Amino acid sequence: MTREEQVKAVGMKAGARVVGIAPVEAFRAKVPEGHRPEDILPGARSVVVAGGDGPTAGAWRCPDHRVMEITGYDLRENVAVHAMCDFIEGTLSHRAIQAPSLPVHGHEPPMSMMHAAELAGLGTRSLAAHIILNPEYGLLYYAALITTLPLEPDQPLAEPACPHPGCAAMYKRIGTTPCLRVCPACLAGTVQDGRIQTSAYDREKCHSRAQTYGIGSFQKGLLQIVNEDDRERRRTMIYSDFFTKSIQSLGFFRDSIAQCFECMRVCPVGRKYRKLQ
Amino acid sequence: MAVFKLDPEVYKCYKDEVLKLCNSFQKIDQPGLSDKQIAERLGLDERTVTEIRCVAERDCYSLDEWEKAIEFKRKATLEWSALALKRPDLKPE
Amino acid sequence: MADLPPGSAAKLKSVALESGATVCGVADATAFDAYAPEKHRPGDLLPGARSVVVVGGAQPREGDWAATSPWVMQTMGTTERIQGVGRRLAQYIESEFGYYALYVPPGTASGDTPFLSLMLAAELAGLGSRSLAGPVLNREHGFMYWSAVITTAPFEADGVETSPACPAPACREMWDRERTTPCLATCPGSNGGCLSGKLENGRAVRTFYDAARCNTRVHTHWVGGFQKVLEETLNEPDRDKRKMLLYGDFFTRSLWAITYSSTNIAQCFECMRVCPAAHGLREMR
Repeated sequence: MTREEQVKAVGMKAGARVVGIAPVEAFRAKVPEGHRPEDILPGARSVVVAGGDGPTAGAWRCPDHRVMEITGYDLRENVAVHAMCDFIEGTLSHRAIQAPSLPVHGHEPPMSMMHAAELAGLGTRSLAAHIILNPEYGLLYYAALITTLPLEPDQPLAEPACPHPGCAAMYKRIGTTPCLRVCPACLAGTVQDGRIQTSAYDREKCHSRAQTYGIGSFQKGLLQIVNEDDRERRRTMIYSDFFTKSIQSLGFFRDSIAQCFECMRVCPVGRKYRKLQ
Repeated sequence: MAVFKLDPEVYKCYKDEVLKLCNSFQKIDQPGLSDKQIAERLGLDERTVTEIRCVAERDCYSLDEWEKAIEFKRKATLEWSALALKRPDLKPE
Repeated sequence: MADLPPGSAAKLKSVALESGATVCGVADATAFDAYAPEKHRPGDLLPGARSVVVVGGAQPREGDWAATSPWVMQTMGTTERIQGVGRRLAQYIESEFGYYALYVPPGTASGDTPFLSLMLAAELAGLGSRSLAGPVLNREHGFMYWSAVITTAPFEADGVETSPACPAPACREMWDRERTTPCLATCPGSNGGCLSGKLENGRAVRTFYDAARCNTRVHTHWVGGFQKVLEETLNEPDRDKRKMLLYGDFFTRSLWAITYSSTNIAQCFECMRVCPAAHGLREMR
């Protein structure tokens, strides 16, 4: 087995659906200084990206959106990254760290997992919130490790996963695609000759949907509460369902990660894996 | 100072520009600028830009948008379920 | 009460290592009495406790120590991995040996007081000793995270370490030369830091530790910071300034840390970063 195959095998065994490798040099073109793998780990040579499953097929079929709000994320790709880091340090004697992906200043993470997935050949940007779609599995969640281990990289995909041929045909017919139609509030875009021509994504509006109950809603609610002079109204706000759910999502982090799937629900890429008995 | 407190006047002056330049409103293949890059462009220090951006991201939409989000998801899920699961009884009002 | 079959402790340790621990040791439950205050001893948590099984591991990797981004260690902490091992061992002890086992939760009983001091447990289980900077260091693996299981099973106790990792030879030399050590120089109590100490007769002696200040560094973004901003917000009469506080970078970050526990376990490692004994013995490329 090559080193690349060994590392990937460890990641797959730990629960990743896909694993890809990108060279650190590839990040220089589009990533600002301070957010590149080399800025994070001196001597970094490779970034290994693991993609993990999203909701189960059964979860997609649940008519109650609240269920997916608190069960949509498995975090398995992070386990895979840790397993690969342990292997790279323990067996291959090279430094490896989990790439810091959680936001540390507002909505900005130290390093983009989406971009890492693109460069590692695991998917391409879509019209739907620029989510990286794997051509086989569709929506996956990504985590990455940075390592000083030199690895033969995978290539970014030559063919984009989006638009799906069905979506391109739909756009030709009626000027929209399933995702654009279901969520015009956050998304806008055009398709030409079967390729994305333009795509706009309102991340802040999407935040109110993808993280309805969480850090943001807690801050919004708290500001209203502290600004409310009427004691009784303040009381109803503090004990409201909205504020209660916001606090709950702080306590159970799984409740706060991903809470809107509507653009992905209607996306045909990877849908075959959601058809079970 | 223990906790960085942004001057509201500075915030009001720069918030729209910072939001425009960062990753809040994305266009595919046009990455937004980092706080450092925005600072250089606007002639501010990086920490001030970070603070403006953090407040602006949260301030961008009122709590009404959260109300709309809850209703949007409720309806969209039910509409899809009614269609895909062939359950017209689930179609929202 | 029946004794354990021969080799039980060895079997338990083997399972611990297979489950992901780097080290595993056993402390006699009564050994805590001399050091731990009442209500925070093994027998207070599990009546009839006879031994405490301690596992160490999930330590920062060599890459973590080498990373130049402060966000790596502050947000990608791996301590929960050792908690999972502790939990699994508790279940194993009960199902395999038939004795009561209590996994010690890593949170606090009240304020900043833990249910049982995991650092004391690690020392008494022979897995390490306290450093001048504070954390318990294992001679081979350095700085680690700990988890403990109190049990009524009479596992054979390991002896405490007789030869501490701290002070390391390099630190002794530095002390002879400059009357300080790397950790004391990085975070000096006399100059806005948390630590003061000395080396005496080849041993590290801590003379001062500002726990409250250390808390602002180890838990910069967490419950304490949240409370501080909330207090300031409530006391702020200007509504625009309240918004700046609640939507600001510091409060947002503190909420992230409250939500994602890996980001609140430890947010300052500077005394350990410079410690020659904290990083284990492996060479890395």
